[in-house]
Amino acid sequence: MGHRVLVCDDAIFMRTMISDILAEAGYEVVGEAETGLQAIERYKELHPDLVTMDIVMPDMGGIEAVREIVKRDPDAKILMCSAMGQQALVVEAIQAGAKDFVVKPFQPSRVLEAVQRVLG
Amino acid sequence: MDVRQYADLFLTESREHLTAFNQLLLEWERDPAATGAVGGIFRAVHTIKGMAATMGYAAVADLAHRVESLLDSVRRSERAANAAMLDLLFRAADALERAIAESVAGGDPAPGVAALLAELDREVAAGPAAPARESRPSAPVILPQTGPGKGRTVRVTIRAEAQLKGARALLVLRRAEGLGPVSAVTPAPVAFENDAFDGRFSFRLDSAAEAAALTAALVAVGDVERVEVADQAAEAAAGEAQRSRHIRVDLRRLDELMNLIGELVIARGRLHTVAARFAEPDLHDVNGQIARLAAALQNEMVAARMVPVWQVFDRFPRMVRDLARQMGKQVAFRVEGKEIELDRAILDEIAEPLVHLLRNSVDHGIESPEERVAKGKPAVGQLVLAALRERSSVAIKVGDDGRGISREKVLSRARQQGLVEADVAALADDELFHLISRAGFSTAEAVTDVSGRGVGIDVVTTAMRALGGSLEVRSEEGAGTTFTLRLPATLAILRALLARVGDELYAMPLTHVAETFDAGPADVQRVQGREAVLLRGQLLPLVRLRDLLGAAAPAVPRRGQPVIVLELGERRTGVVVDALVGQQEIVVKSFEAPRGTLPVFSGATILGDGVPALILDAGGLV
Repeated sequence: MGHRVLVCDDAIFMRTMISDILAEAGYEVVGEAETGLQAIERYKELHPDLVTMDIVMPDMGGIEAVREIVKRDPDAKILMCSAMGQQALVVEAIQAGAKDFVVKPFQPSRVLEAVQRVLG
Repeated sequence: MDVRQYADLFLTESREHLTAFNQLLLEWERDPAATGAVGGIFRAVHTIKGMAATMGYAAVADLAHRVESLLDSVRRSERAANAAMLDLLFRAADALERAIAESVAGGDPAPGVAALLAELDREVAAGPAAPARESRPSAPVILPQTGPGKGRTVRVTIRAEAQLKGARALLVLRRAEGLGPVSAVTPAPVAFENDAFDGRFSFRLDSAAEAAALTAALVAVGDVERVEVADQAAEAAAGEAQRSRHIRVDLRRLDELMNLIGELVIARGRLHTVAARFAEPDLHDVNGQIARLAAALQNEMVAARMVPVWQVFDRFPRMVRDLARQMGKQVAFRVEGKEIELDRAILDEIAEPLVHLLRNSVDHGIESPEERVAKGKPAVGQLVLAALRERSSVAIKVGDDGRGISREKVLSRARQQGLVEADVAALADDELFHLISRAGFSTAEAVTDVSGRGVGIDVVTTAMRALGGSLEVRSEEGAGTTFTLRLPATLAILRALLARVGDELYAMPLTHVAETFDAGPADVQRVQGREAVLLRGQLLPLVRLRDLLGAAAPAVPRRGQPVIVLELGERRTGVVVDALVGQQEIVVKSFEAPRGTLPVFSGATILGDGVPALILDAGGLV
């Protein structure tokens, strides 16, 4: 419990919802990022236990961000947040080093299951 | 979680993205070659799509999805904008704005969108055919090795309802790679990127770990329905023959085979009866051997007919979701006990009744979100479909936490129809159930698309009877209703208790028999005009099968008479018979009840000595 999480998504709506789900389950959301570049910066700064990563973001997408983060920290625990129909992109993200994924629209129980799997 | 609390945030942020959409469109219009704008629009629309889907605004998500497809095709082909396409996109932006406003206000998205959707689709089709996914520089993690690698074959099935099965399969493979070298992945991992991938794959894993440990590690990846780790020794022996493990067989073939085995079981019974008459050791030997073989054959056959209930249950989540949307309800639907197995024939028969019950729950049981909140309940209603194994039967429950059945309404409707006396003031659960299961009885205030045409529970009751099962209801006003279906796990052959009344034999499926005991004349008391006995401090109502069947007046019993205690859920009844004959496996024969037959028989059978016997239906007796 009390794991520290970095939430990356370009929509405040999504960040708020994910943060609410995680906070309610006892996780600590230590930071947010709106772009892939920000995600990398904040990861270096915060060393979170878990990152939730949107795939489509401006400046740098989630998959490139995963690649960069994993290059620096091979043990990084990254959970991809994907929309329906993005199978090929999710497969690519996993090959880049993401540990698990959830599909929008989010069901809190499924998000938390995935988070527990990644942290477990 | 109630997503409506995020509606304001959704609206605000969607508007920002719409603004960006419009600005970038203008930029693109000024410079049609500026494909950089397309990426920005794509992201804006994509974000709106994701948020709308999360909010459950299907119309918005759908519209956004089609715009996204068009932009994707433009982005890939790098075709320049033309006036017609820009005009279309501007109109799409307006339509999105309207649809968002309408959805947040709780209304229907504006009409006329269909034409726009069709236009968008045509425009996508006008572009170059969707190219194969761009090749990615990243090397695939899994080597596409197809030779027969070392180790054991592992077969994995991803759960049918899991999303992005291919991505999940890849996670399973990565986990497997952590356990030992992986090879011979079938289908090749490239297939995982295809949305048509059905979630079944296999690979060879070279690991010394126990099968159970491997299974546990792979199941932990999540959304894994089943992992089969082949037995190394058996696999080596089987070699190439491995591939043809499953064949498709017409269900009618299995039915015919089952009939033949049924006949064999009957013949075996006769042989047993005949053999008992001769003191011939060889005859007894062969009789015993045939009995064992027939039993083994029958078990195998029953097992071959068993299928897990998910084969039918898996289509319900989607149905419930669509119904709930249609009715403006919020429903959290849970399915439990999916792996429980039932005879294929039974499973096929209960699909329709379950649809009835689920529809009833969504339509009449679960209240609208507003009504629920006003009553102090969570806005989202709970609906559970659960299969459970009981002693010799399978129970299937459909339960909701909705408004429950209004006893007052049932009572007043029953009075109108003259089904109860005017002075009856309250209904017990049993009486309530008898009323609602009458043909044509419905208290629904309006006939809806979904249910409430006065056909409902009686259809379910009839179906259950025909299968030798039963239906019961528990309902608490304001707190919800639970229907429980009890079914034999298999139809064709069942164990029954044989009882004699006069010269006739009757069979009672053990599914519903709780126990038997002897009741002396002194034990029987009269309570409210009915006979009953006290059994371990509880009053057990009695039914005399002899009276029920209109057989000749019984000789006054001098000593105890056997009583069979039937149990249907929490209700019990004692059936008084002349004598108990014993337990036997019986083969159910289809039974066309002549008109006027008492509604207490569910079928007929032929016993080992060729004597026919009627099968009693517990549902008609309790």
